[in-house]
Amino acid sequence: MKHKKIWIKVCILIFTVGIIGSLYLIFHPHGQIVNIIQDGKILYTIDLEQAEDQMIYIEYQGSKNVIQIQERQICVIDAECPDQTCVKMGELKSNATPIVCLPNKLVIEFAENDDIDAEVK
Amino acid sequence: MTVKMKMHKQIICILLVGMFFLTSCGKKSTESVIEPQSKSFFAMDTYMMITAYGKNAESALNQAEDKIEKLEKLWSVTDENSEIYAMNHSNGNTVSVSPETVELLDFSLNVSEMTDGALDCTIYPILTEWGFTTSEYKVPTDEKISELLKNTGYKKINLDGNNVIVPENMQIDLGAVGKGYTGDLVTEVLKENGVTSALLDLGGNIQTIGTKPDGTDWKLGLRSPFDEGNFATLEISDCAVITSGGYERYFVGDDGESYWHILDPKTGKPAQSGLVSVTVVGKEGRLCDALSTSLFVMGLDKAEKLWKQHDNFEMVLVAENGEIYITEGLEDDFSLNEIYGNLEVNVVRR
Repeated sequence: MKHKKIWIKVCILIFTVGIIGSLYLIFHPHGQIVNIIQDGKILYTIDLEQAEDQMIYIEYQGSKNVIQIQERQICVIDAECPDQTCVKMGELKSNATPIVCLPNKLVIEFAENDDIDAEVK
Repeated sequence: MTVKMKMHKQIICILLVGMFFLTSCGKKSTESVIEPQSKSFFAMDTYMMITAYGKNAESALNQAEDKIEKLEKLWSVTDENSEIYAMNHSNGNTVSVSPETVELLDFSLNVSEMTDGALDCTIYPILTEWGFTTSEYKVPTDEKISELLKNTGYKKINLDGNNVIVPENMQIDLGAVGKGYTGDLVTEVLKENGVTSALLDLGGNIQTIGTKPDGTDWKLGLRSPFDEGNFATLEISDCAVITSGGYERYFVGDDGESYWHILDPKTGKPAQSGLVSVTVVGKEGRLCDALSTSLFVMGLDKAEKLWKQHDNFEMVLVAENGEIYITEGLEDDFSLNEIYGNLEVNVVRR
């Protein structure tokens, strides 16, 4: 009899932990994981939800890009290249539209997909 | 068995069933999920991402990258070893080129004919004068443009078998069709390797093989010409979707005017047809690529006329006043995004 009571208590404990765990997974905000990639290599993987405001300086063959993380947003604020496309792109908004600096072979993109598969542009 | 014992058994059963449901509400079974293989790299002056599904996908993607690298070496305007460079620096002499280049040039010249010269691969020197090839932008004088226009005209290019003559003082650039044709050739490579589901994003030119592995269509966002968002989504499978827009590459001159990179070959100036974005959907990437530029130059009326004469493409046109025109073949695949709900959508019918 005592043996069965212990089993019931163990089951209730696992059940409760399971429910709490499930609720946590469902309601906890998902991290905004961002990869900063240069020439095919991941230089940084950053969770924007957790990251402190900061500047990241990345150099490629003497040319620099300045990446800013501020209030859980990431963007390139300065680039030593003629077209400045990456700066003009502003904050990273969608996985379908990574921030790309062609001259410096730099890509900033979300690690997870969002609701569209790609952006036609 | 006592009533108390029965109750205990029932509680255990309920708990076990509950635990089963809790554990089954997480990830899908790994057996039913086909993992994609992805490859991204810089090529043809843009950033490319290819995602493919299938057991040979990894090897297929490596071959796809090799293919793109090979095509870039053939068609680069600036690479001194490319076939385009050889033609542009031949001083009017005959140059023998590869079958891929013959096919691309022949196709480009055919579309030029089909669109009454709205696409013209010989305007490269004018594009350079505007600074669109170097990012050193400037507004050329009318005299300079008139002078440069004398050395343009696709009809002056002579293609005979695999021999090409680009007259002296003329230069060609097949950039307006090159990425689209690359999409077609890479699609072939992937299919030869048994890939039945893939998404090719060649710098915003999209080409798909089949549907997604779960059988649903690929969902593509269409970039708004007015801001950074996507004004609509297209749900498609097994086709190419390519957009040309004035927002892609432009500069603001000292006069405060915006000048974009899509030039009207007849004037040598940015095309002012009343359209700000043209998306073409079709089976062939090269046709979509070539037509997206040509229709941008031609404008709404001529684009509609051309569409009615051909059944191998559909289109989404955005006019500068915000009106959208879609052809009837896309009616079920096109949906306007909520925040752009104020834009008027017109369906063009045959």
